[in-house]
Amino acid sequence: MSKIFPKSANKLPLQIIIFIFVFVGVVTAATAYYSTPKYTRVGYAPIQPVPYSHKLHVGQLGLDCRYCHSNVEKSGVANLPTAQTCMNCHSHIKTDSPLLAPVRASYASGDPIPWKRIHQTPDYVYFNHSVHVNRGVSCYECHGQINEMEVVQHAKPLSMSFCLDCHRNPAPHLRPLDQVTNLNWRPEQMTGESHAEWAKNFVTKNKITPPQTCTGCHR
Amino acid sequence: MKRKVNHPAPSQSELNGPKYWRSLDELAATPGFQEHLEREFPQGASTLEGVDRRQFFKLMAASFALGGIGLAAGCRRPEAYILPYGKSVEGIIPGLPLYFATAMPIRKVAVPLLAETHQGRPTKLEGNPTYTPFGGSTSLHAQAAVLDLYDPDRATSHTLKGAPATHGAIQDKLASIGSAYAGNGGAGLAFLSEEFSSPTLAALVGRLRAKFPQAIWAEYEPLHDELDSRTAQEVYGASIKPVYHFRNAKRIVAIDADFLKADAANLYHARDFANGRRVTSREDDMNRLYVAESRLTLTGSMADHRLRLATSHMFAFAAALAARIGGADTFGAAAEGIDANTQKWIDALAADLAEHRGQSLVIAGAHLPAAAHAAVHAINVALGNVGQTIDYVTVPQSNASTIVELASAIKAGSVKTLVVLGGNPVYNAPADLEWEKLQASVPDVVRYGYYVDGTTKKAHAHIAAAHFLESWGDARTVDGTIVPIQPMILPLFNGLTVLEVLARINGESTTDPYTLVYQTITGLTSGPADKAFRRFLHDGVLENSAYPKATVAIGASAYARLAGSVPKAETLSKDKLEVVFAADHKMDDGRFANNGWLQELPDPITKISWDNAILVSPRLARELGKAPTGAILQVARVEENEFEIGKEIAPIVEVTLNGHTVRGPLHIQPGLSNYTIVLPLGYGRQDTGRVGTNQGHNFYSLRTSQNPYYVTGAKLTYTSEVYKLANVQEHWSMEGRDIIREANLEGEGSYRENPAYVKGIGMESHSPAMLGLQGARLEGESDEDYARRIHAGTPRGNSLYENPNYKGIHQWGMNIDLNTCVGCNACVIACQAENNIPIVGKEQVLRGREMHWIRLDRYYSDGKADAAAFGGDGNREIPEDPQVSLQPMACVHCELAPCETVCPVNATVHDDEGINAMAYNRCIGTRYCANNCPYKVRRFNFFDFNKRQLDSLYMGPIGPGGTPELIKMQKNPNVTVRMRGVMEKCTYCIQRVQAAKIQQKVKARDSGDVKIPDGTIHTACQQVCPVNAIVFGDITDPNSAVSKAKARSQDYAVLGYLNTRPRTTYLGKLRNPNPKMPDYVGLPYSRTEYERKNHPGGHNAHTGEGAHGGEGAHDKPSTSEGESTSGSGKRSEEHGHTVLETLKKIGGLS
Repeated sequence: MSKIFPKSANKLPLQIIIFIFVFVGVVTAATAYYSTPKYTRVGYAPIQPVPYSHKLHVGQLGLDCRYCHSNVEKSGVANLPTAQTCMNCHSHIKTDSPLLAPVRASYASGDPIPWKRIHQTPDYVYFNHSVHVNRGVSCYECHGQINEMEVVQHAKPLSMSFCLDCHRNPAPHLRPLDQVTNLNWRPEQMTGESHAEWAKNFVTKNKITPPQTCTGCHR
Repeated sequence: MKRKVNHPAPSQSELNGPKYWRSLDELAATPGFQEHLEREFPQGASTLEGVDRRQFFKLMAASFALGGIGLAAGCRRPEAYILPYGKSVEGIIPGLPLYFATAMPIRKVAVPLLAETHQGRPTKLEGNPTYTPFGGSTSLHAQAAVLDLYDPDRATSHTLKGAPATHGAIQDKLASIGSAYAGNGGAGLAFLSEEFSSPTLAALVGRLRAKFPQAIWAEYEPLHDELDSRTAQEVYGASIKPVYHFRNAKRIVAIDADFLKADAANLYHARDFANGRRVTSREDDMNRLYVAESRLTLTGSMADHRLRLATSHMFAFAAALAARIGGADTFGAAAEGIDANTQKWIDALAADLAEHRGQSLVIAGAHLPAAAHAAVHAINVALGNVGQTIDYVTVPQSNASTIVELASAIKAGSVKTLVVLGGNPVYNAPADLEWEKLQASVPDVVRYGYYVDGTTKKAHAHIAAAHFLESWGDARTVDGTIVPIQPMILPLFNGLTVLEVLARINGESTTDPYTLVYQTITGLTSGPADKAFRRFLHDGVLENSAYPKATVAIGASAYARLAGSVPKAETLSKDKLEVVFAADHKMDDGRFANNGWLQELPDPITKISWDNAILVSPRLARELGKAPTGAILQVARVEENEFEIGKEIAPIVEVTLNGHTVRGPLHIQPGLSNYTIVLPLGYGRQDTGRVGTNQGHNFYSLRTSQNPYYVTGAKLTYTSEVYKLANVQEHWSMEGRDIIREANLEGEGSYRENPAYVKGIGMESHSPAMLGLQGARLEGESDEDYARRIHAGTPRGNSLYENPNYKGIHQWGMNIDLNTCVGCNACVIACQAENNIPIVGKEQVLRGREMHWIRLDRYYSDGKADAAAFGGDGNREIPEDPQVSLQPMACVHCELAPCETVCPVNATVHDDEGINAMAYNRCIGTRYCANNCPYKVRRFNFFDFNKRQLDSLYMGPIGPGGTPELIKMQKNPNVTVRMRGVMEKCTYCIQRVQAAKIQQKVKARDSGDVKIPDGTIHTACQQVCPVNAIVFGDITDPNSAVSKAKARSQDYAVLGYLNTRPRTTYLGKLRNPNPKMPDYVGLPYSRTEYERKNHPGGHNAHTGEGAHGGEGAHDKPSTSEGESTSGSGKRSEEHGHTVLETLKKIGGLS
């Protein structure tokens, strides 16, 4: 019988084993990476052109979310305030602050302030703010404790499974409509009935049926 | 090694037994088909053409390298910005569209519109429902107009002597023209303008002509969709035009008049025509349409009786009809030359009209001579139609010169400065004027235009025009109602409006178009001016501004003079052909040549995209010895007009007329008058943008000012060259299948006898019940309840696959009424605009890769296909007199969708409301779903059509980059722009459905009122449809429009026997022929073909539920004896026999 395998073939089993190890290692590393908060950008807190503090404005001064994000109840997009909105107050207070120079410039010229986008869904996802805040989902559920953030950061993963967890079982994440923008509200504060009981009724009465099929978000 | 499977040799019984066919080619067993059999996909569909192996590897290496770079950089998401306004803008809510009333002016009429804008960016145009005659519908041109706004090839700057000029320089130039001629009253100054309806512009022109009395003001339009003012003057003796009311007409005669398309008021006409045609119960009446025409138009395709007659014989036809109806001698002499058969047709027609005095309407095409219009007027007067179905209105007098008069002034050398306002005379002026030379001979030519085209090249200055979506202006609709033109966006390239141009030449103190329009409108209204103007802009119409009614009286002497003015029609033959110049369905006169959507739209009749063709009748082709022989159920299979998977190999022919010759590809068109050649105008532009240049062939060069619409004496000669036409529907016959189900309104086997006729046609009538136990009719259940339960109740059992979960509170469904669809194709463009559907270019259409989500299938039938066709010779001949059936076809959203079961990655799945969804980001592009779709409505992105330039698609990522930013501005922000390698298809406008659901939930807040009221959602195709043929809604709501439509007895599912349970169903088509007509047939041709194919042995024809039962009736015999069921089996047995006899009578069966 002639030689079928050359001598170098003796190394083949070893090579295969090494390859398997490397392959498994790469897959493990990749999986580990893609499922970490780092991949979903949790904690992402870029430096903004104006060091606006939610902690000061919302937490301490008590501004309502909807003063600046004025169309969040009407539109799919929770708009950022125009420079004019900032100037409603800042034409009276801290009028010369150098930190507010970009705001004054934008108000004067009409050119927008380039805020860095923190929460971003992919282009093929059509998230709608209005339908969530009008049906008992608080800002807190996706954006976290914004009123205590000096610098806004990405608080929740906002991945598809994050969305689906809530869409499959919305009740624990709902709250009375008048508490939607109250970021300090906690289910334990429910008076009378328990939150679970209240939420169950709320879901049934208002026919809360969040879409779980593709078309709900992908169009 | 490839595994080879040896099939056993066929047994003797298989060889001799009945043959089954899968396609016509198999039947023909052509070598091409043999090759086709070997390949899974049609030739070219999955091969890289023009790229060899070596090049391919090079490309791949390059793309891997790029991929590597992308991977390294792609670990982090790129930084993105949010840019809020500096100052708040009133009314704008980011993320929500705003709508403004505006209008699209074209020639003397305008289409009132609502423009959808996203943060100041118009993306989609809808009809303005406040203007009731159009009812919120639009034409396909209005749908496509938004793309013109973002055309990167439009004129982007003003030029003076070829060099870019500033705004100021152009203003100076215009003012200098005015001041130079101020002294001599304008002698030497001439204007050539498009026709217009704007009152503001009319006033401005009036002032201009008062200031420059010596100047020549000429207007020219190559095509007219209503009677031009000079002919109208000749006919009616005054500046008058007719307004037709089809809703009051029970009998309609169209003499070479394409009122469903070419007419300015087509939306109004189509709406009213369809209202007279919609039949919801057997008691309903239906209008009857007679059409005499030389070419096959959409109007002709809707005809109940259609007469093919050369356009040059149309006056004789009208005169003969007038002589028959009026009994007057005036037209008797002119009616000579009508042959005996036509005379019989006219006699029967006249008798039918006489029975419908005051309820009939006779109209003539705008291109016919004045005498024909006079004859038609005489007929309408004799029938008492004036005031009932037809009104005359006074239109503003136009005393503009013609282009011929202007040309002779230029020839005489008396024109020193020529201002060309719009139009494109170098391309479309009558050929005998030799306009290009004439224009070059004028010392100073100023051109105002949207494109840098041939006319600009012969001009000294070019003024970039603003799009109507960038302009202030006004216009009038077909009935004279004044509508505003509002800007949606600032002029992208500093374009000017025509108002400003003329105001500057005129040296007026106000040159601002807004102020000019404001002055005009407030001058016409009473009360506070600001309030009136704001209301005008808000409503989009000025109330009570329609043209005043007029009376027409044509004296006997005028009739005689007009009747004598038309020369006797000549007899035509193959050596003496008639040429008819017609507007192309999409390009119009050529003005839309650079609009990719319109270029790619297939012609509704020929189905040719990106091209026009010389159309001839089958008989002429045969007489010239070039007709395809042995053609099997195809327009042309062998040799001359070969079809090869979407490629129509057309011979190039030459048409010679008076020493001038044009060349073009030949398309044999059934339904044409025997010796008429149709030359569609509007193609063959040499001088427009990247999209339109060199597409198609230009036939303007045969057209003279004497005979602009038709002329006789042409010859047609073949050349040896061939040309590829991108024909998207090579197959014209239904082969006796049940795709479109038709019946006559009355007579044997008709709708009146059996309203559920559709249930007796097709395979479902034979197959076992598909609906399982739930499909059985309940005791005492009415037709309507039964239909509702079947359509609304899911799951319905009896399927191998698990039923999807349909638990959503809405269940979406659609219904398309084939009886009212006129085939205008506006839905195709509306869908394209709404859903970001790319264009792919002619090369890709030739490979069958067009992307339209909705298409209109057009079938011809002549009743001749028979059983032998499926094993023998079949339908050898191209029909000369076909009946046309049109069918819009998009994804039908099967409840048991074949596409879903084959997707390996679950990219196409159902949602819980019955919509067959596409998750683009899941799709890996196997195309199994498209293969498995029986309706062939799935479209694949073979390339990055949205990202790459059409001419370098094959170069992939190394090709020159991208779509111009400008085109991106048109995209609908609520629909994903798809990338290469993903499948797409109709989504029932899911973005509109979801927007409505969200809106309803936002409104509901803490209440359970989340069900969307019926009529909230309009899909793009539904919204644009002028005849309301498409209804969409919730099929679980028994009172919704769609449920009501689906409950009608004509409702059927296409390919229903496949048990796909489509959510889109169709209403059968009805024809209303007159039994007394010589060309009466007792059954629609498609039905005859169906019977001949399926029951050649004389098996009874199905008349519906009584005979075969509807869905589910096999489980349990029908217990209902309601009005709309056909009754007992015995009765339908009788029908079967009588239908059979009818078939024999008309020669349908041998």
